Amino acid sequence: MRALKAENVKKILQQSKGARVDVDVPLKFKSGDRVLTRNINPLGHTRLPRYARGRQGVIDQHHGVFIFPDTHAANGDKNPQNLYSVRFTARELWGDSASETDKIYMDLWDDYLEPAN
Amino acid sequence: MNGGHDLGGMHGLGPINPEPNEPVFHEEWERRCFALTLACGFLGEWNLDMSRRARERMHPARYLETSYYEHWLIGLQTLLVETGLITEEEIARRMGEIGAEETD
Repeated sequence: MRALKAENVKKILQQSKGARVDVDVPLKFKSGDRVLTRNINPLGHTRLPRYARGRQGVIDQHHGVFIFPDTHAANGDKNPQNLYSVRFTARELWGDSASETDKIYMDLWDDYLEPAN
Repeated sequence: MNGGHDLGGMHGLGPINPEPNEPVFHEEWERRCFALTLACGFLGEWNLDMSRRARERMHPARYLETSYYEHWLIGLQTLLVETGLITEEEIARRMGEIGAEETD
């Protein structure tokens, strides 16, 4: 089993690449595309919160390719996917009593999204 | 997982009052808890998302009653026990020893 020695902590933390993966995955969406989030209720880890499931949003920008947290938490499978910033209106998430102008931006992976009509 | 952590939209938790110049750690044990979690992560027995999942598996009532670094501590204990690195008995015994030292 590997162990972290005190003298190596700073170097190793500086080297950390985070969750970005240096591979190309075909883009499912482009900026401006309307998307519908899936209604999933997995027993495992997910980064799609309950209040944003089954909601319509718009792809704001593409962040790059990142480890997919759901499979990575389940069995260590990195399953690299495109990560997008998706824009939702406050009213789409919270109904008519929410602000007419507020927007919520959420970072979401390919597998959370379907094309919206 | 639809756990206690997924509280977006929940009412009744009170106002959010950010501290000006908030310190990274409010208590010394939080600093140790953070360091211990990073050090144990480098053992390679689990990844970052597995450690998030361990925190999210806390009972929702307990999750809402405990602080941020308590979630870290409880999640770390879950992972250490599940990977067989320590046992619940060892944690309980050491907590008993520390408790006895503090009352001496």
